[in-house]
Amino acid sequence: MNLADLNPGQTGRVLKVSAVGPLKRRLMDMGIVPGAPAGMLKAAPLGDPIEITIKNYRLSLRRGEAEKIEVEIVS
Amino acid sequence: MKAKTSSSLSPWDIPESFQSLALKPVVVAVAGNPNVGKSTLINALAGVRLQVGNWPGVTVEKKTASCQYRGSRVVFVDLPGVYSLSPYSQEEIIARDFLISGEPDVIINVVDATNLERNIYFTLQLLEIGIPVIVALNMFDEAREKQFRIDTEAMATMLGADVIPTVATQREGLDTLLEKTLAAAAAPVGVKPAGVNYGSDIEEAVHRLSTDLLEREPGIMGKYPRRWLAIKVIEGDAGVLKAIGMAPEDPVRLSATRHLREAHGEDMESLVADLRYGLSSGLVREALSKPVRNKIELTERIDAVVLNRYFGLPFFFIAMWFIFKLTFDISAPFTDWIDGAVSGPLTRQAAFLLTGAGAPAWTVSLAAEGVIGGVGFVLAFTPAIFAMMFFITFLEGSGYMARAAFIMDRAMHAIGLHGRSFIPMLMGFGCNVPAIYATRTLENERDKALTALLIPLMSCGARLPVYVLFTAAFFTASAGTVLWSLYVLGIFLAVLVGMIFKKTLFRGASPLFIMELPPYRLPTLRSLTIHTWEKGKHFLIKAGTYIFAVTIIFWFLLNMPWGVVEKRDSYLGQAGQAMTTVFAPLGFGTWEAAASLISGVIAKEIVVGSMAQIYGVKDEKNKEEGNPSLVSDLKETGGYFFVACRQAVGNVFATIGVASLAAEEKEESAGLKPVLAKTFTPLSAYAFMAFVLLYMPCFVVLIAMRQEFGTWKWAGIAVLYQTGLAWGTAFVIYQGGRLIGLT
Ligand SMILES: Nc1nc2c(ncn2[C@@H]2O[C@H](COP(=O)(O)OP(=O)(O)OP(=O)(O)O)[C@@H](O)[C@H]2O)c(=O)[nH]1
Ligand SMILES: [Mg+2]
Repeated sequence: MNLADLNPGQTGRVLKVSAVGPLKRRLMDMGIVPGAPAGMLKAAPLGDPIEITIKNYRLSLRRGEAEKIEVEIVS
Repeated sequence: MKAKTSSSLSPWDIPESFQSLALKPVVVAVAGNPNVGKSTLINALAGVRLQVGNWPGVTVEKKTASCQYRGSRVVFVDLPGVYSLSPYSQEEIIARDFLISGEPDVIINVVDATNLERNIYFTLQLLEIGIPVIVALNMFDEAREKQFRIDTEAMATMLGADVIPTVATQREGLDTLLEKTLAAAAAPVGVKPAGVNYGSDIEEAVHRLSTDLLEREPGIMGKYPRRWLAIKVIEGDAGVLKAIGMAPEDPVRLSATRHLREAHGEDMESLVADLRYGLSSGLVREALSKPVRNKIELTERIDAVVLNRYFGLPFFFIAMWFIFKLTFDISAPFTDWIDGAVSGPLTRQAAFLLTGAGAPAWTVSLAAEGVIGGVGFVLAFTPAIFAMMFFITFLEGSGYMARAAFIMDRAMHAIGLHGRSFIPMLMGFGCNVPAIYATRTLENERDKALTALLIPLMSCGARLPVYVLFTAAFFTASAGTVLWSLYVLGIFLAVLVGMIFKKTLFRGASPLFIMELPPYRLPTLRSLTIHTWEKGKHFLIKAGTYIFAVTIIFWFLLNMPWGVVEKRDSYLGQAGQAMTTVFAPLGFGTWEAAASLISGVIAKEIVVGSMAQIYGVKDEKNKEEGNPSLVSDLKETGGYFFVACRQAVGNVFATIGVASLAAEEKEESAGLKPVLAKTFTPLSAYAFMAFVLLYMPCFVVLIAMRQEFGTWKWAGIAVLYQTGLAWGTAFVIYQGGRLIGLT
């Protein structure tokens, strides 16, 4: 299961970031590291990108990028 | 505020000339994540007006500002906000390079107190550099509002750095911050901050690497902060390894990291990032206590509406429409007022004075038609420019700009761009020139070039005068809608062109979209005025210098060869005549239109100024009305100003729907409008406006493109494709319009 699969309101925990190179680095710098809780807030009106909460702030990213973040559902 | 700008020295200050001999200025790098208030802080400390906005990526260049404090000269360097010291985009490289250059004596790390964990992750990286770091715990007002309790003492102990709560917007805590900063700068050389302990595994590797490297490459080690370099080498930072000419498999690196790799796997980059996050969240656990239940914040409530699945898009477009309509409605009465004052009293009195002083007829004509006419006509549009800049400043300051990127990303993605490209494009509505520079916030060359090519299709403020003039002459009843339709036409064509470019010139992967959405903030009236002024000032300066010179040149082109009687025989007239056949199928095949379009290459607002000269508006006017006295002119002009104010206020309510704008009785103002009505029809006027919107970008934009990309290639492409597009579009509008029976 990945971050893009979460429904609005659901929270997951990051298991693994399967991206590589600059994308991986950027995701890590933004706080998406294994163990971090990540909550799905909403999708943009056109369906993409999505808005999540991570490390207590709001971050938006595309579904394509969120799919590279494995999560498990917490609540 | 004890901080003094250099202009207000107290008796205790040593004279400046002495100091420069005695003391080196203290160089303070101001660094931190994007949108934490770095520029706001420097503005408050040094009394400058750096650009500020509530979205990540406002500052893209290194900017300096200085002040005088207790006899020392302090130079602040504002850096673009970054998330880490491993750069990918241009502005991240700028920030990183300055921080490790050895130039700064102290770093002020501005930290968002409401977002500690990710901010401290960056603080830890700054501490690796080994320069003293002072943490400014900014946005402390917002943290208080959220009822966060932050134990700054504990933070300071854990980081080994001073931590000072600040509210940059209200100048809170700035004295203490400056004091601590200078104290840190004055600390004896060689006393390095302790740094944060990363645990024995890594510390051992760091130690090994620095000793081994120092032995093998003392030259390189001398160039970079030692601990920072060792950590980057352990991480395997591609940029750093390349810069020091080291392969990832270098034996020194491999042997130093062997234990680490055996224990934690090969991915050193993640290992170090995890470790920093571990430390950072540990620190936050210790130092921060939050209220048990978070209340639902204002930002969430606003977003629930403006980013709503169904209402989000309509809201966005309606908001844009309102902005353009309000811009027009508020500025129109003032435009008419300036227009009237310049073409009436000002020209009259100047001509009267010059003639009275015995100046030859041609100088009177140069001054009245050339200078006052040309510059005055451009000046008449400052109200519209300022109104537009005001709204853009408000969008930037409120935080909606970042939402616009979020909403538009899907669409931008379709043309191979990032939602963030939307921001430079939106800025392009103000002026294309800063928008071209703003492409620096984009992460790669491909994106920057594609965005830069599309920006000129965003209708800038300089084109507004042309629209305002023509809509007022031909579309009084639906002025706002016509204006809006031109902006939409530009956007629509940008999408079309983008899709074509994506498949031809710009094949390849489109960029990532990973962006922080800032909380909404209400911009203060003070910051709104300052930043509106700063943006609009650019236009005024342009009008005062550049356009001033150009209108004089144009006066000569229009009145040369010496002694021409008919304007069509002048150099410009001849050039215009040569072009008429090209423009005939578009509905404006007159030499006057052609000549003003040629002049618009310099700057598009000049189209209006040179039309004024070409059609020789002033002459007729002066003949009609004798020569009223200066006093009566002043009185009348003053009185009209209040009329204009009243109308502007009335129009705002009309926009909101209290009354209808069409019902407003528009007094036929002096100037170009009646002359235009004779040579244009509404249809050809619209085709003309579309042509002005689309044809080649002005000279200044081309120069900006050249500067930004280091080649004329993209500027050349822009000239060619846009002129072709302009001709094609105006052709379709005019001929298509005629086919369906419009005139
Ligand atoms: N409430 C509050 N708002 C602040 C404070 N400091 C800055 N702001 C606001 O935060 C926003 C960002 O400020 P900037 O100074 O542009 O931030 P920056 O760090 O220079 O941002 P970049 O240049 O994008 O890296 C603006 O809307 C400021 O008005 C503060 O202490 N409290
Ligand atoms: Mg800034």
